[in-house]
Amino acid sequence: MKKNQILMAMAMVASSFYACTEDNTTTPIDTTNNGTFKVYTLNDVTEVQNLIADTIIGTSAQGQPVGTGHFTFFSLKNRAVVPLTDSATSNWDVAFRGTTILTNAGTSGPGMGGAYTHVGIFADVSSFNADSTIRTDAAPVYAIKTGSNKGWYVYDGPNNLITPIPGRVLMIRGADGTLYKLEINNYYKGGVTPLTTATSAIKLSTQRYYNFRYKAL
Amino acid sequence: MKGLKYFFFVIFLFASSTATYAQKSPALFTTVNPADSSHHSHLKQYNIKEETVVTATRTERKLSNVAIPTKIITQKSIKQAGSMRLSDILQEQSGLFLTSGFGTGVQMQGLNPDYTLIMINGEPLVGRTSGVLDLNRLAVGNIKKIEIVKGPSSSLYGSEAMAGVINIITDQTPNNKLATSLRYGTYNTKDFNCNTTFSKGKFTFSHFLNSYQSDGFSIRPYAVERTVAPIWRLTNQFHTSYQASAKTKIDIDLRYAYEHIQNEIAVTNNGIITYSKGNEYHKDFNLNPVITHLFSSKLKSTLRLYATNYNADQNLNTSGNSIYDDQLNHQFVRVENQTDYYLNDKISFNAGIGYVQEGVKSNRYELNSARRTNNINYVFAQTEIKPIEKITIIAGFRYDNNQLFAAAFSPKIAAMYKATEHLKFNASIGRGFKAPDFRQLYLNFTNTAAGGYSVFGALEAQKQIDFLQSIGQILSIESDFYKLKELHPEYATGINFGLQYNPNQQIQFDLSFFRNDVENLIDTRLVAYHKSGAQIFSYLNLKNAYTQGVESQMSVKITPQFAVSAGYQYLLTADKDQVKEIEAGRVYTIDAGGFARRMELSEYVGLPNRSKHMANFKLSYENENYFTNLRVIYRSKWAVNDKDGNGLYNSNDGFANAFAQINIAAGKQFYKQFRAQIGCDNIGNYIDMANLPNLAGRTFYTTLSYQFNQKNKK
Repeated sequence: MKKNQILMAMAMVASSFYACTEDNTTTPIDTTNNGTFKVYTLNDVTEVQNLIADTIIGTSAQGQPVGTGHFTFFSLKNRAVVPLTDSATSNWDVAFRGTTILTNAGTSGPGMGGAYTHVGIFADVSSFNADSTIRTDAAPVYAIKTGSNKGWYVYDGPNNLITPIPGRVLMIRGADGTLYKLEINNYYKGGVTPLTTATSAIKLSTQRYYNFRYKAL
Repeated sequence: MKGLKYFFFVIFLFASSTATYAQKSPALFTTVNPADSSHHSHLKQYNIKEETVVTATRTERKLSNVAIPTKIITQKSIKQAGSMRLSDILQEQSGLFLTSGFGTGVQMQGLNPDYTLIMINGEPLVGRTSGVLDLNRLAVGNIKKIEIVKGPSSSLYGSEAMAGVINIITDQTPNNKLATSLRYGTYNTKDFNCNTTFSKGKFTFSHFLNSYQSDGFSIRPYAVERTVAPIWRLTNQFHTSYQASAKTKIDIDLRYAYEHIQNEIAVTNNGIITYSKGNEYHKDFNLNPVITHLFSSKLKSTLRLYATNYNADQNLNTSGNSIYDDQLNHQFVRVENQTDYYLNDKISFNAGIGYVQEGVKSNRYELNSARRTNNINYVFAQTEIKPIEKITIIAGFRYDNNQLFAAAFSPKIAAMYKATEHLKFNASIGRGFKAPDFRQLYLNFTNTAAGGYSVFGALEAQKQIDFLQSIGQILSIESDFYKLKELHPEYATGINFGLQYNPNQQIQFDLSFFRNDVENLIDTRLVAYHKSGAQIFSYLNLKNAYTQGVESQMSVKITPQFAVSAGYQYLLTADKDQVKEIEAGRVYTIDAGGFARRMELSEYVGLPNRSKHMANFKLSYENENYFTNLRVIYRSKWAVNDKDGNGLYNSNDGFANAFAQINIAAGKQFYKQFRAQIGCDNIGNYIDMANLPNLAGRTFYTTLSYQFNQKNKK
């Protein structure tokens, strides 16, 4: 057990070290989004591409497209995906499954997490509002509201497409209490929303790929 | 002297009973400008008749004398365009944008199809789906002309005449006639028309039969919904008139239309294909007896009765099980009296009073056996004054007292100034309204097939949500729920200003500016969530919008046979509340990387499904027994999809591409009685399956017609 913790700590140190090296890179970062999972940081802003959030693998008995049902856990601090086995720890800050986003507190985890949605421009946000606006997850109601036009996205029913609402900045308190601002720019593979005329097979197979950027405040 | 006058009057009535009287209004009530008669020799040379219009003022007026500009589509142009349904001919007119979805509707001055009143011989058609009256329901084979008045006309016609009025005038010329035509075209489209008129003594009887059949077409290879499905339409229309005495005339119109649409739907879900069979039946019945009586040479009164019933049944079967059956029945009964008093050359009056009883029965309402009803009492009055020869002023109002919602008052004033014989100016300001419809009041619909969302009418929402809450079936209530209240009519204030210039008989130029300020627009809002998470919607008076623009039309007769015409509309629209939000800096769009940035007002495109530029162009050649024409319709791009998710339409969103459609037709007369016509619509084979589902690719047709006329021997 103790050994494990040491290993974990080493891994964290290593990953933060890795992140630090990238912070100070002098060579240009390749920001082209080719559909693969990628994390890079420039001027303290970390951009994440193609974070897979329970992609669709089949159809439920009711005919609804479904995935495995597991969340993808992510550490904003370490800029890395956290293994599923750590879901009950404070090692992750945000978790994604379909359009649902968890923060590490309340019914979701043991951390000091929480969130609220701010309407404005990412670059303009420099501080958190008073603590009272931060909510914690209380399933089935989450700090980041689920549902079309309620939290971070809008669902276009006739065209079966999910679009992040521009001007919604997710204000997230990490598991350790660190404050972040986060903006999602796309929900599809390669950061490209399919055409409205695309087949439903394309729309279903390319969704649940999170593309976002965040910054610690 | 007095005796002589009386003698002429009798002669006039006698003559009118044979021919002109059929136009329902004696020449006494048309104000003839002496200046007009000087043109007649030129008119003959160019084969133009002095046209009359009835829709703008509810009395017959010479087109050149009417203060509220009216567009006329003649029988000839309908035939020469090869039109079969009302939608075919309207799409070629300046400033009319045809919409698809719930049938083919017409957008006028940038306002939705809900706000244009469609009438046959002055009586409204009912049976709208989501506010759209499908223009394909109407055959055009017996139309004498179509009159279009743009801008609010509720002062004469009440609800729905907010953007304007389209009045279809059927051919009721009393003679002995047999006219048939048969058309065959692409997609196995067969259209048969038969017009018969029999006139003897005081009776005229006419019958119109149209049968339209088409296999439909599919331009969407993987579509879930149909593009145009196999359809059969039948229209039967009878008209009887009886000249009871020199002063009294009775007209009875009876129309029955039937439609059957068949559709096969294949839904593919993760490789599993489910086949469904759909059937839609629409039945439309109209009865319209009218008695016209002349009390004196100056006083005329018309009593009109109108009853109409529209029945729609739509069902869908999947492997033998009925998964969907939607029924709607709309009844509308009206009694109306209109009295016209012609005081002298300078002043005339019209006044009317009416009563409407309207009812809708639908299985989308709570008790599908109960008919929801509304009663409307209304009065209207109008006066036309010519203070001096060059100026005509029309002022009028209408007051509609509704049982179900707030009363509506609609005034209108219009003026025309004949600056010279060749140049006229006109201006009008009026208020139009559209009453909340039964759907917006009573709908109680839960779509079990698509996620279980519900839509409740404004009168149902409170009750239904309270009930659901009492049994613990409500997850949450939205703030808009607390705004639910009695629905008010939607209002528009319209200003139109225009000029008509005809330097000579060969050139006609019209220019008009319009602005409509719309308040109280009814919008669908999310009011609560079902326990399952499915949404509950209702209707609220929320939005304020405007539409404004310029419309121009020019026609030139280069030679007596060769003519060119062109029309153009420039349109700007906006949701006023959205403009405020943008100006306050609270609206965002995305940058190239997909991240948010503040949106500028210059990026705003206004209401969706509207083209900023629309144009049409027509070349035609015609001599005594041959004609040919080429017609081009152009629309600039229009917003269809809120791609950036900010809830409004801006330059970052999804647009349908600009397009031009070219149609040609040619016809030839044989032995006086036979005519052959061929045509090709959409020569360029323009297809946009997502945004123009009703536009078939290139289609060809050929028509053969036979007409036998016997002038009434009198």
